Amino acid sequence: MFVYEKKLQYPVKIKNTNPKLASVIISQYGGPDGELGASLRYLSQRYAMPYPELKAVLTDIGTEELGHLEMVGTIVHQLTRNLTEDQIKTAGFDTYFVDHTAGVYPQFASGYPWSASTMQVTGDIIADLTEDLAAEQKARLTYDNILRLSDDPDVNDVIRFLREREIVHFQRFGEAIRLAKERMDQKNVYFTNPAFDK
Amino acid sequence: MYPDNGSNAPTCPDRCGTLPECAPLAVPYVPFQQTCPKRYSQEDALSNGTLFPGLNLPFHMKADARNVVNCPLSELQALEFVLLELGLYLDTHQGDKEAFALFQQYAALEKAGREKYEATYGPLFKSSAAQSDCWCSWLQDPWPWNFEETEG
Repeated sequence: MFVYEKKLQYPVKIKNTNPKLASVIISQYGGPDGELGASLRYLSQRYAMPYPELKAVLTDIGTEELGHLEMVGTIVHQLTRNLTEDQIKTAGFDTYFVDHTAGVYPQFASGYPWSASTMQVTGDIIADLTEDLAAEQKARLTYDNILRLSDDPDVNDVIRFLREREIVHFQRFGEAIRLAKERMDQKNVYFTNPAFDK
Repeated sequence: MYPDNGSNAPTCPDRCGTLPECAPLAVPYVPFQQTCPKRYSQEDALSNGTLFPGLNLPFHMKADARNVVNCPLSELQALEFVLLELGLYLDTHQGDKEAFALFQQYAALEKAGREKYEATYGPLFKSSAAQSDCWCSWLQDPWPWNFEETEG
């Protein structure tokens, strides 16, 4: 089960509101390579994993991604607090505002709502963990692009942290594949699916 | 058998990890981070987003990390972060005894740090609210997403 801890993983203290920036950062909340998809992907892939190290890596990273979801939600919330009449008309934010006011809704930057079609659970160890390697890279480059679009140092400190976590997770998923491979058919890792063929 | 523990597994300097005897075909391959990797202090670890200098690979638009450990909450966040990072490392390096000993040390530091923090600033877990005078201690602001101008 999960127990809530009433704190963030890393400090988020954004002094200046900036609705335009919020309207792109929302993509890491509910976008195609965002933290909601990341946490649900890993926490859902766990059940088919036959080896303890893989169950642990997916549980630990999936749980951490829920903490990142909270951090990204916090960024969007702080960037959109105390908005003026003029600020709600900001191009790019007005279309978000009309549906969600200053609430935090899981959607792509384009406005498309979060979709489970952005992730997969195949029930196959190597296929799932290979998707996870790609997912970490896609999240990493989205943070790169947010750094290109943002000139707020309070935001960039947090984005730098979140981006670096994707690199550490990539390393652990890569190691997880190696550990899995050691337990599989040494001549041909694709001879069976150990998550299904007993 | 764990590749990084093999006596014949070649190693290279800390940044590079452990290389295999021969690389497999047709399966993704990431080198193992070698055991006993170099570490940051807890403050630098939280600020950089990793405990391990060998994994710190920033983007050119934001290469340097600012020190964010400057208040009681961030001191606790730094301790918890080291625990989280060591735990994730141990998931794939369960044979690294030095890392496990460090995990035990940091678990004790984090427990003491959290109890001290909660005694002054209120509960972080619902169960800790039992140590306070009323349920209002769990309800009270700030919640984690609230911005406080006074915090600096």
